[in-house]
Amino acid sequence: MKSALRSTPLLMIVPSLLLAMFIIGYPIIDLAWTSLQEVSRFGQLRGFNGWDNFAEVFSDPLFYGSLWRTVIWTVAVVGGTLLLSLPIALILNDEFYGRGLARVIIMLPWAISLTMTAVVWRWGLNGRAGLLNATLMDLHLIAEPVEWLATAPMAFATEILIGILVSIPFTTTIFLGGLSSMPQDAYEASMVDGAKRWDQLRYLTLPLMRPFINIAIVLNVIYVFNSLPIIWVMTEGGPANGTDILVTYLYKLAFRFGQLGKASAISLIMFGVLLVFTIIYVVMVMRAEDDGGAAGEASK
Amino acid sequence: MISKLKKTVIYWLLLAPLVIVILFPFAVMFVTAVRPREELFVYPPRWTFSQFRWDNFVDMWVKTNFGGALLNSLYVSVSATVLALLFSIPAAYALSRYRFPGKGLYRNFLLMTQMMSPIVLVLGLFRLMVAFGLVNNLNSLVITYAAFNMAFTIWMLQSYFNTIPRELEEAAWMDGASHYFSLVKIFLPLAVPAMVVTAIFTFINSWNEFVLALTMIRSNDDFTLPVMIFSQVAGRYQIEWHHVMAATVLATVPVAIVFSWLQRYLIRGMALGAVK
Amino acid sequence: MMFQKWKALAFSAIAAGLLGAAAPVQAQTQVNFTVAEYSSKTGPYFEEVAAAFEKQNPDIHINLQVVPWDTLLQRLTTDIAGGTAPDISIIGTRWLLDFAGQGIAEPVDAYLTPEFKSTFIDTFMAPSVIDGKIMGLPVAASARAMMVNMDLFDKAGVKPPTNWDEFYAAAKKLAAVPDTFAFGLQGKEIETDAYYYYSLWTHGGDILKADGTSGLDTPEALEAVKLYKTMIDEGLTQPSPTNYTREDVFNMFKQGKLGMIFTFPMLIPQIKAEAPDLHYQILPFPEGKAKATYGVTDTLMVFSSSKVKDAAWKFIEFAYKDEWRSKFDHGEGFLPVTKNVAAEPYYTTDPDIAGFAAGLPYAKFAPTIANWEEIADTTVRTMQQIYLGQVAPEEALKGAAAEINKIRGL
Repeated sequence: MKSALRSTPLLMIVPSLLLAMFIIGYPIIDLAWTSLQEVSRFGQLRGFNGWDNFAEVFSDPLFYGSLWRTVIWTVAVVGGTLLLSLPIALILNDEFYGRGLARVIIMLPWAISLTMTAVVWRWGLNGRAGLLNATLMDLHLIAEPVEWLATAPMAFATEILIGILVSIPFTTTIFLGGLSSMPQDAYEASMVDGAKRWDQLRYLTLPLMRPFINIAIVLNVIYVFNSLPIIWVMTEGGPANGTDILVTYLYKLAFRFGQLGKASAISLIMFGVLLVFTIIYVVMVMRAEDDGGAAGEASK
Repeated sequence: MISKLKKTVIYWLLLAPLVIVILFPFAVMFVTAVRPREELFVYPPRWTFSQFRWDNFVDMWVKTNFGGALLNSLYVSVSATVLALLFSIPAAYALSRYRFPGKGLYRNFLLMTQMMSPIVLVLGLFRLMVAFGLVNNLNSLVITYAAFNMAFTIWMLQSYFNTIPRELEEAAWMDGASHYFSLVKIFLPLAVPAMVVTAIFTFINSWNEFVLALTMIRSNDDFTLPVMIFSQVAGRYQIEWHHVMAATVLATVPVAIVFSWLQRYLIRGMALGAVK
Repeated sequence: MMFQKWKALAFSAIAAGLLGAAAPVQAQTQVNFTVAEYSSKTGPYFEEVAAAFEKQNPDIHINLQVVPWDTLLQRLTTDIAGGTAPDISIIGTRWLLDFAGQGIAEPVDAYLTPEFKSTFIDTFMAPSVIDGKIMGLPVAASARAMMVNMDLFDKAGVKPPTNWDEFYAAAKKLAAVPDTFAFGLQGKEIETDAYYYYSLWTHGGDILKADGTSGLDTPEALEAVKLYKTMIDEGLTQPSPTNYTREDVFNMFKQGKLGMIFTFPMLIPQIKAEAPDLHYQILPFPEGKAKATYGVTDTLMVFSSSKVKDAAWKFIEFAYKDEWRSKFDHGEGFLPVTKNVAAEPYYTTDPDIAGFAAGLPYAKFAPTIANWEEIADTTVRTMQQIYLGQVAPEEALKGAAAEINKIRGL
């Protein structure tokens, strides 16, 4: 009876474990295997070549450029999303007329797939046929059409802004969830103490929101780091590779140039980067939080 | 205290820029979808057009097999959601209620599965599906979507399960109820809100997924909506923008409506599952 | 019909989905055919051909997979890597060498009867011949030409140019017409390199030199790009070419905002539908040291891994019957690849088509060399750097030539 009970939790996780191992674990191993081999133009394995694929990646200037832009892309999109989502969540958590409508609108970008969003934006941003320039000119905000995607800095900035826009709904939902789980009595107590709204936000809301912010950071970093559609649809990493991030560069290598060995190596490097980030983050932040949590438990 | 009216004005003003930026693509989509083809490339571009061409939707529906793609998308998203829940609920329950060897390892494994983008794994996944004989079969998408969403659903469900007091089940056991009975009759009904939330997440992710669908699905009859729409744009010598936008509108509106209806449950679900 | 298929799917979901059930027993010969999607007409057209063929050959079933152009190479790569390559496929002829070199393409000489072979126009057959073997059949062809907006030329009071000097002079005059631009220059994504080759070839340069090394470090290549760069700097093109794809440039032309563009025959049906009032004319590319046009063909390739080559070939012969070829070329707006269709009155008398076809005797094709996509990408990147003014033309071209030689292993 006892041993049956002990095996129960294992039995319960086995199906999910097996599914994840098959669908995600197997391809990772396949990838690692491929990255050590010479691979033909069409993905047929042609025998081991040691670390040649990795050596090729590390001697490629485009790789370093893409890596650097991936960092900018991830930090800018995730940072911007968090900075915007928190005040938005605070507003949407408060009572005001039309709040339901506001919530629906903020969530809307979630309802379209990223690919479609990017297609529509590309169409709207078009220099001379796009409605954005036409509208801005009608409003006399600009005199000449702006070529949003003509130069790399401008195109990249535009893509980051759209990246932020589509990340807001998910992040705001997490934050709203966090805000609505705040203990009301703590707020009332602080009101009695005469705390100002700003202090309340700083000393009460933000600390309580920390676990929600942390999870938002981890999940967003993972999603944004790996996100292909916005950049791919709008500029394909151009002009002159100026908006290539690792995942677009990888996609080009694998499916346009047929360098599958090199592409596998980059995939693994990307996985490694994310793994290191997550481990550092989990160790640093989550542990600190666990200690805090434990201390809280103890004082109860 | 600021009055509610004053707050309303301030808040809407603060949100206005964002609201405009969010609504802009939807407006673009709509005015492109309903205008006559001859007016697609007027200069300067205008928001207005001479007449509503609702026929665009009808033409598009017939020409692109929109109905088929819609059913495919529904089938894939619903099945993936059900499958993900079936696998996640017991796992989340185990994580929430039991201590067992390898628990930490298992959680880390789940987090790692979140880190792989399907794009990175697409070749390996494809080989796997070939081995299973599932290429050009919608079920390959069902399984893959379920697997890629599982880490998130397990995490969500587990944090929610943690908030359901253990005492409720223990009380039932005292009364002589079996574990199975207490699980089905007492625990699961309490967990319904969390299941709804995770279901919505999985559904949306599956509904919008693109890269895998593009790789696994071969014949036009099996296209899901994002692939169907993309195929109208990608590399053709001639893009029928009014049809592309009409399809996008039709693919988006139902989700948007469901979303606006369910979003309060979404937030509540997030709130109840204390994030840990 | 649709619903039933869907229902059946749902029922088999658990069984097939989780266990990976075996496919049902097939009595028919299955031929998998991957079709590149040129327009919304492509899929329905090939379905019609397949249906007609199956009616005559009930023992053969054609499984069509219609794939968007942009993802065709990805699709074939995953298919080949996964061991599920189709039996026949349409591919870009520029990829053919990669397929042939890896032993993926099957030579068709053994299947091709002399009568069948004689139906093709030799110019279009030539690019499919690798090491003396025919590796595929031309399936679609286009040649490029200059298209001018006659209304703008009338306004500016100039005649359409025939050589680059006149081209530049005409551009100067056209630039004076308010609210329009003289020359539409493509600088973004697919075929940005082609827009440069038009100039490269007519200036007497070539993609590869006689010894096989890159031709980008020649004086002709420099002259060709300097002309474009000068025109950008002097405001003779639309601003910021790097924001304009092929489609964007063509759309501006439809809006009547551009005096001159370089384009393909497939644009004509679009103009007729979307800008019927536009007065345009098709002319050869401006001449420099040489006459040239870009001939682009796609190839129908048989996979060497196919187990049903005979059935596949039977279908190919059927699909190349005049009535089908005619329908295909008219529907998509391509130039005919077979002699009989090319002899149709439409292709000999229509001034638009004649304008494009006129260049065929001196048409240049993309060289059939390995890693073509990567070489093209290098050229695109170089052009973008020059157009944006990031690198001086001479230096950029030298760098590009070195990079291309490295990709070619020279």
